[in-house]
Amino acid sequence: MTGDAVVELRGLTKRFGTMTAVEDVSFEVRSGRIVGLLGRNGAGKTTSLRMLLGLMLPTSGTATVFGHRYQDLPRAAHRVGVSMDGINPLPGTTARRELRIWARALGLPAARADEVLGQVGLDDRADRKVKGYSTGMKQRLALATALLSDPELLVLDEPANGLDPDGIRWLRTMLRSLADEGRTVLVSSHLLAEIEQTVDDVVIVQRTLRYAGPLSDLTSEGTESLEDRFFSLVGSQTGATGTTAKERVDA
Amino acid sequence: MRDLLPAEWMKAWAGRTWLICAASGSFMSLLASLGYASDTDKKITEQHMDLATITNDSVRAWMMTFLFASLFGAIFVVREYTAGTIGRSVLLSGTRTRLFAAKALVGTAMGALSGLLAVALAFAATYGALASNGHNPEITRETWLIAAGIFVCNVLAGPWGVLFGWIIRHQVGAVTTLLALTLIVDPALQRLVPDVGKFLMTIAMSSVYRDGKPELLSEPIAFLVIAGWLAAAWFGARKLFLTRDIT
Repeated sequence: MTGDAVVELRGLTKRFGTMTAVEDVSFEVRSGRIVGLLGRNGAGKTTSLRMLLGLMLPTSGTATVFGHRYQDLPRAAHRVGVSMDGINPLPGTTARRELRIWARALGLPAARADEVLGQVGLDDRADRKVKGYSTGMKQRLALATALLSDPELLVLDEPANGLDPDGIRWLRTMLRSLADEGRTVLVSSHLLAEIEQTVDDVVIVQRTLRYAGPLSDLTSEGTESLEDRFFSLVGSQTGATGTTAKERVDA
Repeated sequence: MRDLLPAEWMKAWAGRTWLICAASGSFMSLLASLGYASDTDKKITEQHMDLATITNDSVRAWMMTFLFASLFGAIFVVREYTAGTIGRSVLLSGTRTRLFAAKALVGTAMGALSGLLAVALAFAATYGALASNGHNPEITRETWLIAAGIFVCNVLAGPWGVLFGWIIRHQVGAVTTLLALTLIVDPALQRLVPDVGKFLMTIAMSSVYRDGKPELLSEPIAFLVIAGWLAAAWFGARKLFLTRDIT
């Protein structure tokens, strides 16, 4: 089930002084797809997503959701759900209170907060202070916040970080069920094996764009592993582009 | 905006910041107020002070609460940067302009509550302290004007702190800057260069709560000066918030 471009990045570039974090990145995310945005730490994944969501201004290029810049998109917060690395809960709140505040900001009933708490499996711990939550529980809370408005597009930045194996399996099932409902999911990660089991399309960035397209094309219908293809595109840690993981292990 | 304002109002009450600011401001003001109202007989007989003056001094001591109203306003903004919540607030607010306005309005409302609390406690503390010395406070028109000034200063200090928060975006930085300006820099400049000092924000406020020093601005001019400072802070903070990256 694919359709129009929901997310569109064109020549997106971000410089911080003399350092270029993202350079000339262009790709599209089509509706109803789960798209994995892959790259090493510091590859520019989060910066690209922040530009997409209007939290950072691009040095050049454009990034749109549903054909508009996020900040110009009518009812943007109702159409796009976001769980972003580095965006943390309100200090001094419980999960239920936090979600009720965000639900209020969105004009949703308080009961919606309770619904999403159940959806992410936090309903029995919803009245505990968020400060005492594990990283995995905070990830679930962030996902609950992203789901509050029942959005058409989910932008999830490193949602598997801190999740235990059960949590990762739960996340995979959740993402698939969201896509089956017709939603679009753009998920960034550096957990290649996990992404390989979850996504339809892959975007690989390492400051510049290295690949954007179906996972099946990248892995030759599964005959090659995503990890091998990833390292062949982004290079080894020392920067020797073209060295595969297998080659590095063999060496 | 209809939904955002109640959400920001709920945020203002989250955590214990409001309680700490209210309690700290009340405690410090109470100490100062009790100091003015103590030894009433001695002040009347030896220092030739009248009961109305002692009452006014004791009530005026609660002007200190405006510092804590401004601290609350600053922390109300800055803690979102410290905690990393600001990104979500921006995303769910629709536009940065709406969030900016909502925080300023809620900061003002919290300042108003702080002002009401300050005025109520000012009268209660003054009554209590003077009664313990066998006197009743002498409430005059001047006392009511001082109380009104304390309330107005608290109301104005709320958005002042919020705007400071947007500009500085760092909790320790915002708190120490506000403390330093209010307690050290502005009073020092007033003493060193009174012709300049009287135009500073917190010194202009002392005209509003009727500090009584002859070198201070008249109240209408003081209000204009305060409006100018708030307008400058508003434009500076808004410009920075609308153009800076949120990381």
